[in-house]
Amino acid sequence: MAGFFISHVSKIYEGATPTSTLVDIELTIEDGEFLSILGPSGCGKSTLLEILAGLQRPTSGEIFFGNEKLDGPGIERGVVFQDPSLYPWRTVLRNVELGLELRGMSRSDRREAAQRCLDLVGLHGFEQKYPHQLSGGMRQRAGLARALANRPEVLLMDEPFGAVDHLTRLQLQDDLLHIWEAEKKTVVFVTHDVSEAVYLGDRVVLLSPRPGRIKQIFKVPQPRPRKRDDLELLRIQNEIYAAIVEAKSAESLEFTI
Amino acid sequence: MGRNSHTKRYSWRIILGQVLLLLVMLVVVEYLVRVEIVGSLYLSRPTQVAENIYELFAEGEIYRHLLVTLNEFAAGYLLSVVASIGTGMALVLIPRAESFFRPFLSALMAVPKVTIIPLLMLWLGIGLSHKVAIVFLFCFFTIAFNTITGIKQTAEAHLKVARVLEASWWQIVLKVILPSAAPTIFVSLRVAAATGLVGALFAEMIASKEGLGNLLVQATSLYDTAKAFAIITVVTVVSVLIIAVIDLLEKRIVLRWRSN
Repeated sequence: MAGFFISHVSKIYEGATPTSTLVDIELTIEDGEFLSILGPSGCGKSTLLEILAGLQRPTSGEIFFGNEKLDGPGIERGVVFQDPSLYPWRTVLRNVELGLELRGMSRSDRREAAQRCLDLVGLHGFEQKYPHQLSGGMRQRAGLARALANRPEVLLMDEPFGAVDHLTRLQLQDDLLHIWEAEKKTVVFVTHDVSEAVYLGDRVVLLSPRPGRIKQIFKVPQPRPRKRDDLELLRIQNEIYAAIVEAKSAESLEFTI
Repeated sequence: MGRNSHTKRYSWRIILGQVLLLLVMLVVVEYLVRVEIVGSLYLSRPTQVAENIYELFAEGEIYRHLLVTLNEFAAGYLLSVVASIGTGMALVLIPRAESFFRPFLSALMAVPKVTIIPLLMLWLGIGLSHKVAIVFLFCFFTIAFNTITGIKQTAEAHLKVARVLEASWWQIVLKVILPSAAPTIFVSLRVAAATGLVGALFAEMIASKEGLGNLLVQATSLYDTAKAFAIITVVTVVSVLIIAVIDLLEKRIVLRWRSN
């Protein structure tokens, strides 16, 4: 079982002016599901992802992963960061090996596992390059391979394609879907791009900003492979835009996506 | 390609010009001393200096002194590198240690090291341990402060990656923090190597029985100016070689992964 059960999770950042970031998040993420979390900057979507990753603790509420209460990071939950944060002093191959190396796997075994993941993300032939020698899209692929190398049950992805150009982004989305289908992982994908959220997700969770609340959950029942110009997908996108406009007029002027 | 060969030819011209300038300066000095416009007590003929360098090595006198100085330098430097990187790491990694010790460290760093050479003589004599201590002090603070700075530059995102991968505290130190700090530490290693050698030589000049600094003082006290210049030349070459070794290390450890 590799799903999440998120129960009444709230997060308040303490400080001179305590900031309420997430309020009463109530969400079940199914095993094997591709879930998009959509929201503008400042809505706490990255915070929610970091809580799922175990990097932050909620101020109140509980999270269960499978049947166990979540407590700290775990290798079964792979994280792909917005900035892939590869270690510049390691080659691509050694970056991808990192998790296995930390767990003490033998050199030849981890080489093999890392190589498999690099092939999977399309980085065959770039093993001995250093991160600064790669393009932004390739770095993101390496970051994905690093997460996959540990054979996680879940991939937690924090706006992973936010910093690459549009065409590369479309390609990365399709490649991610192929990997998801081949590897059967649960994916939680944070983004601020409506079309990306709809194209990728089985469901789209729309968060409203400051503090982050679940505004609405949209189901995307379309079978895959999907077409980007599928009218049903566009209809869902429009519904989401309408919900965003509604939240904007109701709450603040700054609600932009 | 065309541009490349152009700059290559250009740089050859520069080197040619530099060599010419050097030769002209040497010839001028040679002439000034030969016709006794400048007394040979103050300046030496380059040819005579060259002869003296040859003699130093031919007679074998310099080897012992060279070895003594290098030994003092190597011992002091290596001790200092280990101690200062260790101290720097401890100060950052132990909570609140840095804010507690920083004023003490800054105060100690502010003490001009040369002023305690006589005191160290009193405590340690004028042998090897005296020089090792001075080289140590000359190097310690630079490396320690750069280690602190380097560690603090560790990217928060890199630490997050390690935490997500369930790295232990030691793994984080060895595989994330130290590599992050390495470029900054190397800068100080180079600076400290140069000042450390100066420390060894200076200590020898003040109080010693042997070493290149001692040899230099002997030569000047006998008004053997040519020999003094010969020793200075040897010392300079030694200094350049030490820096070259550190540059080589840096290239192998750090520069491979840095973008231009």
